[in-house]
Amino acid sequence: MYKLLLCVRYLRTRYLAFICIISVMLGVATLIVVNAVMSGFSTKLKDRLHGVLSDVIVDTDRPDGFEVVREEKRDLTPEEVAKYAPELKMRPPGTTLHVSRTQTVHAMVIETTDGKSMFTRRHLTPEGIAHEIRTGPVGDKIEAITPAIETFAVLQFRDNYGRVVAKPVRLIGVDPEGRTAVGGFSEYLDRQKGSQHPNFDLTPEALQRAEWNQQQNARLNGPVVQPKADQPLVPLPGAIPPPKMDIEVGMPKAQMHGVIVGHSIAHFRYRKNGEMIEEVALAPGDNVVITTAGGEDLKPVWGSFYVADYLKTEMSEYDQSFVYVSLEQLQRIRGMSDRATAFQIKLKRYDRDKKVVCEELQKYFPHRDAKVATWEELQGPLLDAIEVERRILNILLFMIIGVAGFSILAIFTMIVSEKYRDIGILKSLGASSWGVMTIFVGYGLLLGTVGCLLGTALGLTITHYINEIEAFMTRLTGAALFPKDVYYFKEIPTNIEWLTVLVVNLGAVVIATTFSLLPAWRAAMLHPVRALRSE
Amino acid sequence: MLIAEKLEKTYRRHAVQVRVLNGLDLEVKTGEFLSIVGASGSGKSTLLHLLGTLDAPDGGRVVFDGKRIDNLPARERDALRNRTFAYIFQFYHLLPELNALDNVLMPAYIAHSTFNWWQSRAQWRQRAEDLLKKVGLGHRLQHRPRELSGGELQRVAIARALLMNPRVLLADEPTGNLDAESGGEIVRLLRDINREEGVTIVMVTHNLEIVSATDRVVRMVDGVITEDTPAPRLPFHARLAAV
Repeated sequence: MYKLLLCVRYLRTRYLAFICIISVMLGVATLIVVNAVMSGFSTKLKDRLHGVLSDVIVDTDRPDGFEVVREEKRDLTPEEVAKYAPELKMRPPGTTLHVSRTQTVHAMVIETTDGKSMFTRRHLTPEGIAHEIRTGPVGDKIEAITPAIETFAVLQFRDNYGRVVAKPVRLIGVDPEGRTAVGGFSEYLDRQKGSQHPNFDLTPEALQRAEWNQQQNARLNGPVVQPKADQPLVPLPGAIPPPKMDIEVGMPKAQMHGVIVGHSIAHFRYRKNGEMIEEVALAPGDNVVITTAGGEDLKPVWGSFYVADYLKTEMSEYDQSFVYVSLEQLQRIRGMSDRATAFQIKLKRYDRDKKVVCEELQKYFPHRDAKVATWEELQGPLLDAIEVERRILNILLFMIIGVAGFSILAIFTMIVSEKYRDIGILKSLGASSWGVMTIFVGYGLLLGTVGCLLGTALGLTITHYINEIEAFMTRLTGAALFPKDVYYFKEIPTNIEWLTVLVVNLGAVVIATTFSLLPAWRAAMLHPVRALRSE
Repeated sequence: MLIAEKLEKTYRRHAVQVRVLNGLDLEVKTGEFLSIVGASGSGKSTLLHLLGTLDAPDGGRVVFDGKRIDNLPARERDALRNRTFAYIFQFYHLLPELNALDNVLMPAYIAHSTFNWWQSRAQWRQRAEDLLKKVGLGHRLQHRPRELSGGELQRVAIARALLMNPRVLLADEPTGNLDAESGGEIVRLLRDINREEGVTIVMVTHNLEIVSATDRVVRMVDGVITEDTPAPRLPFHARLAAV
């Protein structure tokens, strides 16, 4: 009983103890804040990475995309023999007899070699592939799947001063609704934020601007020199040649194609008198020309688009390189109609099903060039780097608590020598050495616990008001602690992990208690007579 | 009841050895009020520490109720100091952080675990208050040691010593730090305790005035007993020498 009584009493009457408490408190608070911010950054980063990537990604390095072919051979029915007989007489064996196209099957080529049987070759369209996957063995685990074409391109436009600007970009052709179903698309759009049915359409204002731009252009530069319309459209073997496209400036409004560009592509940022200025370089309705490589022969192809919307993921890497156009349009430009280079898949239960779905997809795409990966695998090095950074920071910060531990050691040694006589008194009254030791170890435990509780409270408060504190500090010092141009996040993201808070607290209590052991042991070993004589 | 046989004790200060007790023999009888006088450094306090198991002798033995106690395991010696023996010191030795009542209760705090304490705390509090009233401090229960005078502090220490109903009270110059009046009161109080509650008291003192209140006086010179007389018959020149 006396141990508890004296622990509490020493805590209340020794102001030196408050130094220990404060040092533990500061250590714990720092650790909690740093962990919350680090975790906030990494969680937000993961969210963004995940959002833009979707759960599982299948992609191919083949520029002309996936090729999934289903072949079948059967005998011709008498009716078919009758139907094709004239052609078979005129042409050599192996002739294409008939081509058809549905939504899921790109081309149905019927050939024959002997006049009696029929050889069918079906090229699956992206929709067809998606359909087969959805009806396949892991189809019930898939929430949404959408095809896409990802390629590199050069984006050209005239800036506000009439100069031509060219930027290397990642050009992605998507079906906006399908992409939205997979997640992580429309929530990052500027105008159509959160829309269930985003599209590449231009608003009336954007259309007006586009028209006005054309008039200005015509007035300043004379008649527009039209690029040659004969684009290198590369039909796939057996494919229907896609219709000729008119994608030049001056076409009917209905055929103006929209593009969604990354926010940083469309905005210039520069510093003026120490302040960050953001200037619109591409307004909705402005014209851009995208040059990329054709699907099969990689000859340069290009298309003209009008800015319809911005993508703002707050991830600088994405915002300065992503350009979205409609899948159909990109297929046409690249001459790879009914082909896709990637599938983005959203699972119903990602953590449970990712492995089996990846394995199954790998079986479905037997070619070596189809890579199946989860978003974590794709971003593995980055996520690992964040984790390593956080671990190192934690080790360094625990050293702060180690310093607090040494201050406990020093202060406890002082308190013990101050309490020599009390120790003698307690022993003369029948207290055991173990009991005396318990008082001081308990004292350390109590200091650690109180320090931890206060530190946790302080840490959580700072974390909660971190943006207000940042704003205040910025006002106070005049220098931004969290410059918006370095980080794309609007505010400092935080995420409190209760397990981390618990571990930090436990660690701090253990350190405080451990460092009180030595002084406590010295107190316990004190000879009572010598202790009583000390003045 | 409490017998010291051929006690030897040597203190080592650096390279110098100081022989404090030199084969000392002493027998304290039950219910006796014994005073020990002697010059500074004659080993009086050391004897008291050895009798109450606060320190261990280098030679000889201490026997209490026919049982050797100086070589008991630490746990049993702690229990003896807690329940059977009680000390009163010249410098009172109260804990500065605690008020008078808590100081008096300290032996009971030490004897009980937290749980047991909660069960019996009311009785102990009552006993501590009664004791403080008995020593004339019923109105100063909540006062801290620094708010009390020397005589009051020593009375708190006496109340603390009596809390566990000890059989032997070991007083180390209890009046040494007090003026004549307060000292006289303390000695009267000790004598009353000796008479009324039958507590055996061994008191070390310099002050020959207060010796007359005790039953027997022994005189120590250089770590041995040189004189053992009933108190009132102490010769006058011896009083002077002792002082």
